Amino acid sequence: MAVKVHIHTTHRQFTNGSEVVEVKGNTVGECLNQLIKEFPGMEKALFAKKDKLHNIVEVYLSHVSAYPDELVKPVKDGDEIHLVVMLAGG
Amino acid sequence: MLTPNERERYDRQIMIEEIGQEGQEKLKRSRVAIAGAGGLGSPIAIYLTVAGIGMIRMIDHDQVTLSNLNRQILHWEEDIGRKKVDSARAKLRNLNREVKIEGIAETITESNVSQLVDGCDVIVDAMDNIPTRYILNRCAIEKQIPFFHGAVNGFEGRVMTILPGKTACLRCLYRGPVPQEKFPVIGVTPAVVGSIQATEVIKYLVGMGKLLTNRLLIYDGLQVTFSEFTINKNPNCDHCGSPVGKG
Repeated sequence: MAVKVHIHTTHRQFTNGSEVVEVKGNTVGECLNQLIKEFPGMEKALFAKKDKLHNIVEVYLSHVSAYPDELVKPVKDGDEIHLVVMLAGG
Repeated sequence: MLTPNERERYDRQIMIEEIGQEGQEKLKRSRVAIAGAGGLGSPIAIYLTVAGIGMIRMIDHDQVTLSNLNRQILHWEEDIGRKKVDSARAKLRNLNREVKIEGIAETITESNVSQLVDGCDVIVDAMDNIPTRYILNRCAIEKQIPFFHGAVNGFEGRVMTILPGKTACLRCLYRGPVPQEKFPVIGVTPAVVGSIQATEVIKYLVGMGKLLTNRLLIYDGLQVTFSEFTINKNPNCDHCGSPVGKG
């Protein structure tokens, strides 16, 4: 399944500035694995440990929150994944 | 009832069909708690004050510093060292003396939050940290008070409106504690985000439009985009979920 992954501003330093990366996979987790394969710096940006996203990372699948169990959510052709970071400031 | 002076002051917004005199009277009868008198709290308080809210309660334990002045437009150079709530109250009073402005210089905690927002129709999130937002979120749900979330970082911001018992809350996406860090920000970002929060409050109080419930709005000032994401109510949320889920 071809899926577009939208990279958060703070993570674009790890994707050579790319805002959107096209990947293939059957689940959100597979798509993120392929993203990391292409851009290894994204691993630390997204994951605290294996299969455990950082608490501040939010994943949206075709504009709907993929929480909880984001990584096992199935994707279909044309889906979009948005990687978003929780904000704390005011 | 509006006084002749109020009818003149609010003439342009009373002209808005969805507000009218009835809506203006609703605003006048409303009591709003704004948690935070900083970057977000400034535009929120200013726009709600000029809109004619009956009572605004500003809650902030902090004092004005020089590094606040790039974004916290309620505070000026002459206010450095002054309590933010005192500085805010002075400016807001001069903007609109029809509005009652209260200032409480206290740190929001689990033990005092209920008392701090007591008697208010809505709570507006203008905090600078996530743990206090969760304290407010839980209190809003327990007291069944609508909660208007906003947050910023750099050129980015987000807004969501929470109607307790009906819509997803701030905690529905909770995955665990997050580190507290000094955040970068430029004043125009809380100006945009705070203005949207104030818009949501006005809409809710008057009873018009479509609220940002179950919808997270993300503003990207660098790309000048607004993205919207659906947030579903989490039945296992430890704040708003079922009693079983809270276990």
